[in-house]
Formats: sequence, C-alpha cells, structure tokens
Amino acid sequence: MKREFWRHFDFLLFGSVAFLCVFGVLMIRSAIAGNIVLAGLVQRQIIYDLIGLVIIIGLSMIDYHYWASISHIMYIFMFLFLGAVFVLGAVTFGSVRWIETGLFNIQPSEFAKIVIILVLANYFHTHQDQKHDLRWIATSLLLTFGLVAWILLQPNLSTSIVIFVLWFALIWLSGLPMKFLWWFGAAGVLTPFAAFPFLEEYQQQRVITFLFPDPNARHGNTYNVDQALVTIGSGGWFGQGYGHSTQVQLRYLKVRHTDFIFSAMSAEFGFVGTVLILALIGFVIYRCFRTARMASDLYGALIAYGVGVLMFFQAAVNVGVNLNLIPVTGLTLPFISYGGSSLLSLSLGLGLVESVAARHKVLEF
Amino acid sequence: MLSDFELRTNIIKVIFSMVAILILGRIIGLQTNKANRDFQEYWEYVSSGYEEEITPARGLIYDRYGTPLATNLTVYEVNVNLEKSNFVGNAETIASVLSRILDIPYDEVFRKTNVSVKETGFTRKIITSFIDQERIDQLALTYDEYENLNGTKKNPAPTLYGVEWTPFLIRQYPEEELASNVIGSVSKYGDARRGVEQQYDELLSGVPSKSLQTGLPNVIHDDDWPKGSSLVLTIDREIQRTVEDILDFHVDETGSLSGVVIVSDPETGDVLAMATTSRYDRLPDNDPRIEFVNPAIESLYEPGSVSKVLTMAAALDAGLVTPDTPFLDTGIVEVGGVTVYNWDRVGHGQVTMTGCMELSLNVCLASVARDLGVTTFYEYLDAFGIGHRSGIDLEGERIYPLAIPGEGNLAAHSFGQAMNLAPIQMVTAISAVANDGVMMAPRIVRSIISNGRQYDLPPKVISKPITAETAHTLTEMLTVSLQGESSNIEVDGYRLAGKTGTAQIAPYKGHPEYDILPYRTDATNASFVGWGPADDPKFLVYVWLEEPQTSPWGSVVAAPVFSDVVNELVVLMDIPPDAIRLQIANQ
Repeated sequence: MKREFWRHFDFLLFGSVAFLCVFGVLMIRSAIAGNIVLAGLVQRQIIYDLIGLVIIIGLSMIDYHYWASISHIMYIFMFLFLGAVFVLGAVTFGSVRWIETGLFNIQPSEFAKIVIILVLANYFHTHQDQKHDLRWIATSLLLTFGLVAWILLQPNLSTSIVIFVLWFALIWLSGLPMKFLWWFGAAGVLTPFAAFPFLEEYQQQRVITFLFPDPNARHGNTYNVDQALVTIGSGGWFGQGYGHSTQVQLRYLKVRHTDFIFSAMSAEFGFVGTVLILALIGFVIYRCFRTARMASDLYGALIAYGVGVLMFFQAAVNVGVNLNLIPVTGLTLPFISYGGSSLLSLSLGLGLVESVAARHKVLEF
Repeated sequence: MLSDFELRTNIIKVIFSMVAILILGRIIGLQTNKANRDFQEYWEYVSSGYEEEITPARGLIYDRYGTPLATNLTVYEVNVNLEKSNFVGNAETIASVLSRILDIPYDEVFRKTNVSVKETGFTRKIITSFIDQERIDQLALTYDEYENLNGTKKNPAPTLYGVEWTPFLIRQYPEEELASNVIGSVSKYGDARRGVEQQYDELLSGVPSKSLQTGLPNVIHDDDWPKGSSLVLTIDREIQRTVEDILDFHVDETGSLSGVVIVSDPETGDVLAMATTSRYDRLPDNDPRIEFVNPAIESLYEPGSVSKVLTMAAALDAGLVTPDTPFLDTGIVEVGGVTVYNWDRVGHGQVTMTGCMELSLNVCLASVARDLGVTTFYEYLDAFGIGHRSGIDLEGERIYPLAIPGEGNLAAHSFGQAMNLAPIQMVTAISAVANDGVMMAPRIVRSIISNGRQYDLPPKVISKPITAETAHTLTEMLTVSLQGESSNIEVDGYRLAGKTGTAQIAPYKGHPEYDILPYRTDATNASFVGWGPADDPKFLVYVWLEEPQTSPWGSVVAAPVFSDVVNELVVLMDIPPDAIRLQIANQ
C-alpha cells in the first residue's frame, strides 16, 4: 500500500507547488525589504508554506471518499463558522472577514471555497443519475447560496464570486443541459447591472474607476493600479533584477506583497520570469485537470476540477487586476502572495487533488 | 456520458487558454509599450518628489516684560501660472482685475501675463509682491466670483484661472523706531542688519529644514515645522521710550549733533535702555542698503572727565589716597614732559581728594596718576576694560586700543583724554564702582525662548578691578562731590553719585595734519555718568551729547539729561526715596 501510494503521488504537482512557495517567499522578501513593520512577514510566510506542504502530504494520504461521508457535517460546520465571523469577527479594511485566534487570524471564507467544492462534488456525484432538471439545479444553487449569503454579508464580493464560479464550473461539468446555459448566460449578464446598486460604495467606486478612469486623477482611486502598470512596464523583457526594481524598493507600489505581488515580480524578473512563473501556475492547473480526467469516479474528478478552476480563477483575476483588465478585487496570486488563510485553503485543495491522484483509475497492476 | 464530460472539460480548457492568451498579450503589450515607459518616467518624476526648503518663521523679540518689539507679518506674492492662464487665454481678465485690486498698471500686468511658456521658458511669472492680507482676501473673493460664472462651450466665462498667491513672512516692528539702534532690522528679503537681529540671526532664523514633497498620496508630509528661537531683551520698553524722548528733547535743546543715553543695572549688566538719536522707522519698503549706526557701541570718542572716576578708583584701591587726602593745587603740573592745566586754568589751593573730583581738577588727577606710577595706573585701566571690547551682545561694537603705556600719555589718560572708547565701554567700567567693585558684562538678551522653553541667561562677571570697600568709598565721594559740582541735578529724595565730563575733541582723523593739529577749540563732547541710590545702586545712567552748542560744559548740558532720566527712572523702576527705603529697611 505504501509503495503503491507513493507511486501514484503526483510529485510533479507537489514539486511545482513547493517551487512556487519558495519563489513567493523570495518575492515577499524583496517586496517588503526595508519595511520594519512588515519585516516579520517573511518568516511567517515560510511557516505557512511549511504547514501548507504538510497539509498536502497529509490529505493525500487520506482517502477522499471519506470526506463524502461527512459532507453534511462539514457543510453545517462551515455555515456556523461563517456565522461566527459576525459575532467574533474583527473589522479589518472595512469589512468583517477575520476571526482572531491567539496565534493568527483565520479567514473562514477562504476555507468555504474548499468546503463548497467538496459539498457540491458530493451532491453532483450522488445525484448524477437524477434528471438534470430545474430542481437539480436549484438544490445545488441553494446549497451554494447557504454559504455565500454569509460571505456576501461580510461583505466580501470577490470570494462570493469565486464560489459562484466554482458552482457554475461544477454544474457545467456535471452535465448542465445546454438549454439552461442560455438562461445562465442571461443571468450572468444581467446580475452585475441588477446588483450594482446594492454594492458597497467603495466597490461601486472601483468599478466606475475601472470603466471610466478619470484622466485628471493623480492620486487615490487609480493610484495603485497606475503604479502596478508602471511597475510591470518597467520590467521589460528580463526585469531589473531581484531586489532592484525602483518601483518596488522605493515603495511606490502599494500592497506589493499581497495583491500586487505580480507587478513586483514583473518589474524584477521581466517578461521572461513572469511568464515562467505563470506557466508554472498553469502547469499546476494542468496537473489538476489531468488528475480529474484520470479520477476513478465523478466525485474525485469534480474535486480535482474544482480545485483547478479555483487556482485558475484566482490567478487570472489577480493578474487581471494587476494588468488593469478588471476592476480591483482582493484575490491573491496562488502560493506567491503573502497570506496564511488563502495559502492554507489552497493547500487543502491540492491535498485533495493529490488524494484523488493517488487513487486514480487503476490502469496498471 | 464520458465523451460529454470530456467535451465539457475541453470547453473549459479552451476558455482558460483564451484567458491565458489575453493575459500574455497584455503583459507583452505593457512591457514593450513605449508610452508606458514614458508614463513610468513621468511617474518616477512625480513621485521622486522635490526637496522643499522650509524657512522657519523668524523668532520674535520681546522687551524684558514680554512686550513684543519685533514680530512677523504675513504678506503675499502674486504670480501667474502661465501654463494655466495661457490655456484659457484670459490675460485681459487677469490684467484688469489685478490692476484694479492691486493698484498696478493694466499694461504691466497684461505684458507679463500675455506671454506663452515657450517664449519665456518659465511657467510662473511674478506680478507683484508684499501684498497685504486685506487685498489678498479681496482678490480671493473676486477669484471665486469668476469661478462661479457659468459660461458655455462656445462662449466661456471669463476666469482668473492661473492667478496664484503664496504667503511669506516679513519683519514687523510694532513699536516702530523704538530701540531700532538696539534691535536692528531685517530687510524684506530676509537679511538681518545690525543690532540684535544680526547678532542673533542664526538663533532667530532657526534651522531651515528640508522636506521631501512628493506627488504620492500615501506619503504624509508631517515634518515638524521648525521655528526660530525668540529673544527676551534686557531692554525695558517704558524706560527706553522715556529715555529716547528725554534725549531727543535735550539734543534739540542744546543743539547737539547727536546723543547717547545708556541706562543699565550695574548688578547684572542688564542694559535697560540704550537710546541714541540715530533711529529709523523700518518700514518694509525701506531701502535695505541703509547704513545705520548705534553710536552707543560703535562711536569712539574721548570721554574726558568722567574717566577721572577710574583714576580715583585706582588711587583709592592702591591705598595711595583717601577721600580726605589733602592736595595743594597750583593750577599747573608737568607729568612725563606734558604740562597740565586745570579746565579753568586756575589754581584752587588746598583741596581734598573729594574736592578734586568736585572741582574736576586735571592737575590733581594727573599728579595722582603720576604718584600711582605707570605700571599700576595702566594695570587698573586694563582691569576696567579700557581699550577692550565690553563684549555686549550686539553686532558692531568697536574699540580703539589704548596707546602703549608710558609717561607721555599718563597725564592725558588720567582725565580721559587721548583715549577713544564707546559709551558702552565706559558704562561697563564704571558700573564696577556702582556694584561693589564687581564688573558685570553688559548684555541685551536675558532669555532665549526655544522650542517652547525659556532659557534664562545668567549674568556674567567680567572682573573685579577694585575692592568693595573702594567702590563704596568712591561712590560716597562722588555723592558728596556731585552736590557741589553740578547744581543742575535736581532729584529730590535720592542720594546719587556722579561725575560730569567735558572733553576736547581731537581733529578729524582723516585730516592730513592730524598728528600736529591741536584739539579743536570750537566744540566739546559733554558727558555725564551717575548712579544711585548711592547706598544700593539700582541704575547707572550714562549721557553723551556730541558737540552741544548752547554750552560746552557737561555740567550744564549733560547733567540735566541725567537729572530728567533719573526723575522718571525712580518712578518706572519703582524705587522709593531714600528716607522711605531706610525706614522700611530699619523696620
């Protein structure tokens, strides 16, 4: 069993993730160089990385079918956990997202992403023979909305969108009939317009700033994005060298160790370095999809796909923000941005993928 | 079903690939775009910032009781930002409004405004400066009125866009010309000239600090704005004004060229008033090149008989004489080959030392100096600081070194001729007699206020040229002699010590035959030094009238100045008459 297990453990996936983690630490170190207040973050990120890698190995050893059996409990637990944010949550950056424990702050909504993948995968797996009608769709949507409601209330729009994307990806893969696709398409187009008045003011502002940038605005709304564009542009083909970007080192670029770490990376490693790292992230996603294709059942396949979609969506949105392709949101660059909760939840996801990979369809004896 | 699943995953993969290609294209676009490079350069320029030197507000100057003598006034410089004004093309509007409010010719403003940045190479053009708050308020109001006008695209409303004004501080003297010789001035361009302003320029100016101003919204420019230190003078505004008035009156009355009155506290060296007739009102528009003198510290003159106080002090202190030592005055004596006569060319017969002072006998004092001997006499003069700087904390004190000690000058020096000194140096020397033999350093600044703290400067002792006993004896002698010498002293109820002085004036130094010319016969310098109350001196007053016309004698023209000053002084300084004071002391 042991030897069998390690034979199917996806070392390439694990190695890629480990490489991204190491690169992330280096990049964070460069981004916060000279900032005394943030100096401790490098060490903390290393600890998060180590915990994350241990989680991946640990989860891969547990049969993922086990999670199916406690799917209901996990769902209820997550539901209560998110609710607890309102009771215990600390207000940070204008929204309630964190629970402060003695050691570090937990951001429950990050873990909700993984839970929703498991829960929906289980639902679609167990109902795969049921007729794929409105009831089937509505139930899955209700399940999703049960968790998203809390997250929307925090308010945390970006995570809510991530979870809906996960839901859509999974229901699509589970065989969403084409006729509903048009409905969804229409809903997808209309929802932003309908929802816009209900957004928080800063969210509306971000969207407006993105769509209609004020050419006279020198500071404030467009500052971070302007700086990010300049920073990326300053990288050129081969970058200014590790620790040598004026934009990064002189701190013109803000939140450069989290949301805008991609810009810092582009400035210091240039086009070549950036594309290599993005390719590596792409490779991790590819391995997730590969695992999904080889999974022994739909449950495993959906888990692996879900995690892959999650990785892709986060990476694409983060990079898109940096490139001013979409409005500013607070999604991190997987395994590179600083942040414990996001890193640990992605580790959980990849641990599940490894678990699926280790138990894939037995093609050989 | 599997094929359906595969199809669906492939669709996802296609979508993901398209997103990836979009991102890739965007990255290539950004990193190769020249416009983006330019934008970065612009941003680096904006955010790298520029160093702005913040000139601290100049420290204030107060009199000893905190009345401000020098303050700061905010005025404005009005300029036009050509980049903005040209954009709108509103030179006519700006010219008409500015010429109306600021009282400058329309053509001048129009000429300055109606140029392009390319022509001048400057973005800003100064229209005028030193505009007061009131007119700036009016300008701001008009500016807003124009801003609120509604124009159409075709027919835009006139605007003052581009007109800017920046505040700065200039020096203001609320007491106008009061003590201007002591305080000095600051030109409107910030150069300190003379007096306390120049002497303490570094302290008053403070340290200019550099502040990095950037275009970054996240950088807070919370630099501590430095402030110049403020000064508390020893000058008493009331005494200064009173003394200036008295001096002006007497200079006018006696037809003198100029006059100096110094009032000091012998115990501390504090200069309570330093009045001169050379004062001026320092309006901001005054010519900054104005040469302005403080005769009290920089006009060197031969003081004459007031210097006999020092000679007598030396003789008493050396034990050569007592107040009652007899002297037979023959009216003529030869000392070191120089023949000395009395001022009245008369021999007064048998007199005491007190009588010598009362009658101001040159023959007597020259004999005393001869008996003291060259070495001893000049040791005492040196101890009194004659020929040295008094060290007063004012810019511009001048000295004239004492001639090499020798028999030749001994006689002349014994009665204050052939030596040049500034009034403040005589004040310093004689204040030792009024302060138990201790010579205090004269000073103008008593406290420095820096960063909200007041630092009191301790009085400084220069030396102890004579013993306390000598000082008391001499003061008593001069109290007695003053009553006989000058009938022009009328201060009821106070015993005062003093000495008059009438000095001959050496010929103009630039004269080609200066060395062989005799002293002038047409003019004198009249001086007076006095202090009181005799038993516990609280003030010392020094008077110098230059070339009085009504009478050459110090006792006639200078003594009344002393008398008038002391009459006011005892009131202003709240000194009770001797009788009451003794009564209180005896209780």
